[in-house]
Amino acid sequence: MNNNDSDIKLREHVYDGIEEYDQKLPNWWLFTLYITIVWFIIYWVGYYQLPLGLKSDTEKIDSAIAAIEEKKQAELEEMMASINNDSLKEMATDASHVAAGEAIFQTKCIACHGADLSATLNGIPLPGVPLNDAEWKYGSTPLEIMNIVTNGSPDVTKGMIAWSTQLSPAEIAQVVAYILSKQPG
Amino acid sequence: MPANKNPNLSSLSSINTDGSRNFLHPADVKGKFTLGRRAFGVLLLAIYILLPWIPVGGFPAVFLDLAERRFHFFGLTFLAEDLWIGFFLLTGLGFSLFYITALLGRLWCGWACPYTVFLERLYRRVERWIDGDAQQRRRLDAAPWTPSKITRRVLKHGIYILISLLIAHIFVSYFVSIPKLYSYMQESPLEHFKSFGVVMFLTVCLYFSFSWFREQFCIILCPYGRIQSALTDDDTIIIGYDAKRGEPRGKKSDPNAGDCINCSRCIQVCPTGIDIRNGLQLECIGCAACIDACNVIMDKTGRERNLIRYDSLNGLVGKKKRIWRPRIALYSGFLCLGLTVLGLFLSGLRSAKIEIIRMQGQPYYVDETGVRNQFRLQLVTKQSEETKLAIELVGLPEGAIVSGLEETVTLAAGEETTKTLLIQVPKANYEGDFHFTIEASVTPGDFTVSDSIDFVGPSAYTLQ
Repeated sequence: MNNNDSDIKLREHVYDGIEEYDQKLPNWWLFTLYITIVWFIIYWVGYYQLPLGLKSDTEKIDSAIAAIEEKKQAELEEMMASINNDSLKEMATDASHVAAGEAIFQTKCIACHGADLSATLNGIPLPGVPLNDAEWKYGSTPLEIMNIVTNGSPDVTKGMIAWSTQLSPAEIAQVVAYILSKQPG
Repeated sequence: MPANKNPNLSSLSSINTDGSRNFLHPADVKGKFTLGRRAFGVLLLAIYILLPWIPVGGFPAVFLDLAERRFHFFGLTFLAEDLWIGFFLLTGLGFSLFYITALLGRLWCGWACPYTVFLERLYRRVERWIDGDAQQRRRLDAAPWTPSKITRRVLKHGIYILISLLIAHIFVSYFVSIPKLYSYMQESPLEHFKSFGVVMFLTVCLYFSFSWFREQFCIILCPYGRIQSALTDDDTIIIGYDAKRGEPRGKKSDPNAGDCINCSRCIQVCPTGIDIRNGLQLECIGCAACIDACNVIMDKTGRERNLIRYDSLNGLVGKKKRIWRPRIALYSGFLCLGLTVLGLFLSGLRSAKIEIIRMQGQPYYVDETGVRNQFRLQLVTKQSEETKLAIELVGLPEGAIVSGLEETVTLAAGEETTKTLLIQVPKANYEGDFHFTIEASVTPGDFTVSDSIDFVGPSAYTLQ
């Protein structure tokens, strides 16, 4: 049926009766091969031969995580520098900070300290200490309270976890403001 | 360079023997399939362009919001956690393609593939408009670079780039929405470098594909084109040449010749440069241009139409045609099964969600008053308006005390929140582990979502 099929050459090998045409690949197809070779050289020189400081994916992730940690630390330090007992007390009178602190408290803290800060559930004691009785186990100043929330109980074998992994310094300050606002007197 | 003047089965018409490209210039063709494809292509273009513009339920009809990880389809919203539905989307698309291919060959390629639609309905139209018909285009290709040729080339490629830019922008608008895309466009590209980069990359790809690469993609790169020979059989409707009627080819005046007058119109109009009379070939994208071209000739010579037609390989050699065959029965069964399962899942899909899990740490607390469990409650709304969830606990023993639960929780549009839930069962009412359900009736929407979990504790006997 075809006029010029006879022009097509076959390679000499035969495998299981399968033969192969001897034809040129499309030039664009070969070009993609050459491009990968060129890319290999660029990559090899760039990553392994020149001191360009190009990072591998693992190094990129590690440095990104380090940057996040650093930023968190800086945020905390900045917060702590601007915050003192007086400013925390002032936050406790600011309705918007107290409301934000209450929202966090009601989702994170009530399991142990109770929805009404009494550390009881309808008269049944919960694991936490009551926060509405002006009695403090680890110091009563706002900064001391903030420290306990941030870093957790000084007794690492039991007691509260460190909330700095879940809450930002600003959020912790708001929770402290909420607790302060609930103090008797 | 020596081009393959006569299309054959052992080499590509679009690649010369030295590996260089032979640019094809398919001739104009008129007929009912061409008209149908043109109308269908325009309809598809309208759909591609309009989907991000039509609002359905507060969002564009199709909006894959990558930034918020919310995916809107015609008023339905899916979150990242609904990703499993993507399984049905992907397998469904793949399977539909299999099904249609088994029945009708490469109908998709010729009629519905976006690549074909863009190439035939936009880029080739521009080329036809600027460079003229196939012969004029071939002549212009061979002509020296005169000012007139340079003007035409600049104009043509300029319009190609504009169209590519437009398609790229429409594509990106599916992921960022039209208003956002418009605001991005008014700011410096550096502000939204990712979106800008995607648009530029796509523009380059589209321009390259449709100005130069064209049918090479369908012939060599497209995986669907490669597996089609495994999907069709002798009863699949394909585009074929009736050799029984057509052979031997000869002049109209020759009484011994068949119906084919060897005018080669079918080759001239073919966008992949094959001779359909050599039978079904991997290059054929099922565009039906050769059917229309041949029918015009048949009409002119006063012969019966459809020497080239949609038919099965069995039908072309005069055997009995079969549509219903084991393969189709099996595929139909799978299709019904898949659709049923998808329907079941989708009917359970709600625009709000409630989930209860045990709080990390101690599973339960016991003291002289009773047993206490702590749970974490997750509430999500996918609705685009404020949503109220009226929450109820079902299956708690009498006297159980619940804390941390409001009767009605109000969520802002698309909000997700976590709550702590404490349940204390007094000693007197405690009879061991039990299962309970948390239900939320959702307004607006008037439906109920629920989840259930075990309340755990020591055996009631040890507690007494």
